[in-house]
Amino acid sequence: MKQTERKHNALWFILVLALLFGMTYISINTGSIELSMKRLYQGLFVAYDADVATVWDLRFPRIIIAALGGAALSVSGVLFQACMKNPIADPGIIGVRGASFAAVLVAGLFPTLYFFTPMLAFAGGILACAMVYLLAFRNGLNPLRIILVGVAVNAVFSGLTQAFNSMTGGNLSGVASIANSNIAQKTWDDVYIITGYVLLGLVLAWISYHQCDLLSLSDQTARGLGVNVTLVRIWISLIAVVLASIATAEVGVVSFIGLIVPHVARLLVGSAHKVLIPFTMIGGAFLMLMADTLGRTIAAPYEIPASILLSIAGGPMLIILLRRSDKAYGV
Amino acid sequence: MEYKNDLVMEAKGLTFSYDGRHNVIENLELALQQGKITVLMGANGCGKSTLFKLMTRNLYPDDGDIMLADRDIEMMGQKEFARNVAIVHQNNTSPPDITVETLVGYGRTPYLGTFQAAGSRQDREAVAWAMAVTHVEQHRSSYVSELSGGQRQRVWIAMALAQKTDILFLDEPTTYLDIRYQIEIMKLIRDLNREYGITIVMVHHDINQAIEYGDVFVGMKDGRIVAQGNPEETIDTELLYELYGIRLPVVEVAGKRFVMTV
Repeated sequence: MKQTERKHNALWFILVLALLFGMTYISINTGSIELSMKRLYQGLFVAYDADVATVWDLRFPRIIIAALGGAALSVSGVLFQACMKNPIADPGIIGVRGASFAAVLVAGLFPTLYFFTPMLAFAGGILACAMVYLLAFRNGLNPLRIILVGVAVNAVFSGLTQAFNSMTGGNLSGVASIANSNIAQKTWDDVYIITGYVLLGLVLAWISYHQCDLLSLSDQTARGLGVNVTLVRIWISLIAVVLASIATAEVGVVSFIGLIVPHVARLLVGSAHKVLIPFTMIGGAFLMLMADTLGRTIAAPYEIPASILLSIAGGPMLIILLRRSDKAYGV
Repeated sequence: MEYKNDLVMEAKGLTFSYDGRHNVIENLELALQQGKITVLMGANGCGKSTLFKLMTRNLYPDDGDIMLADRDIEMMGQKEFARNVAIVHQNNTSPPDITVETLVGYGRTPYLGTFQAAGSRQDREAVAWAMAVTHVEQHRSSYVSELSGGQRQRVWIAMALAQKTDILFLDEPTTYLDIRYQIEIMKLIRDLNREYGITIVMVHHDINQAIEYGDVFVGMKDGRIVAQGNPEETIDTELLYELYGIRLPVVEVAGKRFVMTV
């Protein structure tokens, strides 16, 4: 890495961390109750304060889930893009729809299994991912074939999810919230459910950064370096599926974030995964939190799901970035 | 590795087909000599690229074996093979913002654990040596994408050298390069062979460069080997006609043999 870039990277990290903290504070204060920094501090750490307690129970879980979900989906995007050597690969292509379908089924048919939703969503994600890989396998895994098969499998699960949502009249709140990607009404229980899985996935992703780097070479070159390309591709996909499924089980299908955050991150800090993965993590947490906070502000008291805002704002943003950038990352 | 009778790699009864019907390689026998530059040539579709892929484990034979010393390469671990044989492919791709030093460092992968990146003293020494031999050290902090075609090819060779192998395979290493870089790369390859004793096996298209830089010429046709030997003695109008189906005059200038490829 060039020396000047190392400095730039540190600055970008500080900036995006500051943005994340700032956004967290704004998000805490968005709604009918407003709290000063001092009151918040005292209410949390010194003495009981009814308003702070309300915010703690209602807004904190939602903030944490938005941040974790955004981080997980974005890093999942980085991993899939590394696997497919394709900057437009997206968690949506493999597994995620399977995961959301499983989550919807659980929410609709077996509401008592609620606590196992992430695990069952993960099982659904793995099932969909395995289907894609098995159907695409011919003399090893060709990235383009995976993407094409993925689009097809994806469409089926997406349709099944929507069909199930319609069959229940769109009224089952658990079903609708996953199908429509709504993060409202999250509790501390939801936080406890996903935190462990997401952190595990993020750590696994980061320790695999060198393998992600090696996949950026052509397959035969990587193989020549002693890398078992197919095995590495399956391993990285597995981590990506864990992250995407768990996040999808809680926040629903938010496909755009796995595309835009890694893209912007690559433009800012480069494509070395050792730096890219943690940066994408923080950036994804920030963007998701911002979208969710905006979503509950713009048309209050109605809420616009974060996924919809991300699509509306993210599309043009990506195009502007691509047009202004002089570095083309495979596009 | 210990090589018997100076043979590094041997193909025995090699047969391969892509579709299970037409054999691209049929019952092929080939022995590669240690410490030599072997040049593999033949017309398009003669099976030399397939043979190259079989010898570099990008394909596996339907029948027959390829032995490295006395080991079947199919039975070797991926990393073990990469510690003995390094390969420079055609059409290499890398991220736009990877530096020369980082890329050459990837050559240390066969010596590292699964989750490890290059960094030990041994790794750094191997990388420094590989960059010095290929004359790319002054570009160590540049992006590979900023370099010229010839420099970039030397970086890929450096990455293979960082693997510290006895054998180096190259697939048409001078394709897309202008004549100056072609000769630069060919001289580099000769130096690697003469000074560091690396056994070189390459697929090459330029007949005159094969005569000039090659120690052993291997001519392929229809999935079989039709000629093998010292290029100066082996290559003549008749053999070229057999390989390529075209009559090319061979002339002698200053005691050296040249094929008129026009």
